Amino acid sequence: MGKLVIANNLTLTYENTPIIKSANFTINSGDFVFLTGISGSGKTTIIKSLYGELKPHSGSLRVGEFDLFNIKKSHLSLLRQHLGIVFQDFKLIPEWNILKNVMLPLLIAGINKKEAENLAIKYLNKVKLSHKADKFPAELSGGEQQRAAIARATIHNPVMILADEPISGLDEYSASLVMDLFKKANKLGITIIIASHSIPSAFDIEFRQLHIEKGKVYELS
Amino acid sequence: MSSLKSHLTLILALTSILFSIFIFRIFSEILYKYKQTIIDNYSIVIVSTNKLTPPDINNLGELKQININSELKKLKQKYKNIDFSNIKLPYFYKLKLNTLPSPRELNNIKEELLNKPFIKKIMTKSSSQTKIYNLLMLLEIISKIFMFLTTILGFLLIIKQLEVWKLLHNERMYIMELFGAPFWFRGAALFKIAFIDALIALILTSILIIITINSFIFEKIITDLGIDFHIDILKEILLLFVISFLISFISSIIVVIGRK
Repeated sequence: MGKLVIANNLTLTYENTPIIKSANFTINSGDFVFLTGISGSGKTTIIKSLYGELKPHSGSLRVGEFDLFNIKKSHLSLLRQHLGIVFQDFKLIPEWNILKNVMLPLLIAGINKKEAENLAIKYLNKVKLSHKADKFPAELSGGEQQRAAIARATIHNPVMILADEPISGLDEYSASLVMDLFKKANKLGITIIIASHSIPSAFDIEFRQLHIEKGKVYELS
Repeated sequence: MSSLKSHLTLILALTSILFSIFIFRIFSEILYKYKQTIIDNYSIVIVSTNKLTPPDINNLGELKQININSELKKLKQKYKNIDFSNIKLPYFYKLKLNTLPSPRELNNIKEELLNKPFIKKIMTKSSSQTKIYNLLMLLEIISKIFMFLTTILGFLLIIKQLEVWKLLHNERMYIMELFGAPFWFRGAALFKIAFIDALIALILTSILIIITINSFIFEKIITDLGIDFHIDILKEILLLFVISFLISFISSIIVVIGRK
């Protein structure tokens, strides 16, 4: 399996304070990775750096063919079009209904509206939300919004899904549904990186754990 | 309601800018035509001992010799005891200026001409010309101030609108950016609003223009001034169309680029 993410001596800072110090790690295509650590350890910082929201301070960080240290704006857009991102606060567009929110990556990719709509309905069906396609995000529960966000993150068949605390704040049932969706996506070959303070109990598929402590990234086996 | 309000702000701002630009242009055109009318009826009389050519008067305007034969004939009949053949009469010229001079410019012209040894006398209609000139300048300044203030007010409203747009559209554009949406895609909704608002503002301004130029007062002013005045409505609307769309699209582009 090819290396999808390569970090060499990666240092990430937030407002000039080093959060991640000289980290070295690689993530292969098809990996299911949990990025763990206590609150404020730098999980979100790494996730943000992987989708280009945060520029590395020093070292190197490659995602696929893109060097995130010197990435151009047009290349960043291209990279993001091949990623699926899931946020703790869902980041659904409030003035769009769920169907249109799920269609977003397809519309960005230039797929025609009708085709995008049909595929979005199919994905909403997968996440058991087809009956709420015309609802707006504010009309859905947290668990439902996160499922819609996962449908949006997977609809364009991304190479990698980055999820930042996706089950934090969800009830046990919703959290289990969301994790199942990630597992299904991984079985289809999509690389999954989930930032989470802990690994869900009885997690039954093979995964890797990258643990962050005092700015250092360790692989736990 | 807030969406309607935000539309109204831009439409109002654009309409006021467009209408003030139209008023300024029309006013400038009327003033120009009126100045031309004054220039056509205005001239300086030059009395010279020599025959004059345009370079002799520094090419200040069109020079026409006044035919004094009929006046001379009258004088000969009146003063039969005077032998006019022994008198060398000066040459009389009418100088039609290229532009309407200010009172100061007129004085300078007079001094400049009188400094030439062959020019003996200059006659101007200075008092009436000064009044007309001052009145025209006053009207021109008022129209410029009117346009300046309305445009400033319009732009202040647009700046306020940009702030509102930033708040309204920031979240959606940020989410789109996270999914790799290109610039045109992120700004699509704003560009659509900008297009609709620019179109509405243009329609409103066109209605105002038609009402204005067909009004009794406007027609009376043109008739009283005695000028040949014609407005190419289509050209004016086309110009305002370009201005309207440029302002609204530049505003929306500023919001999309300025997103943090």
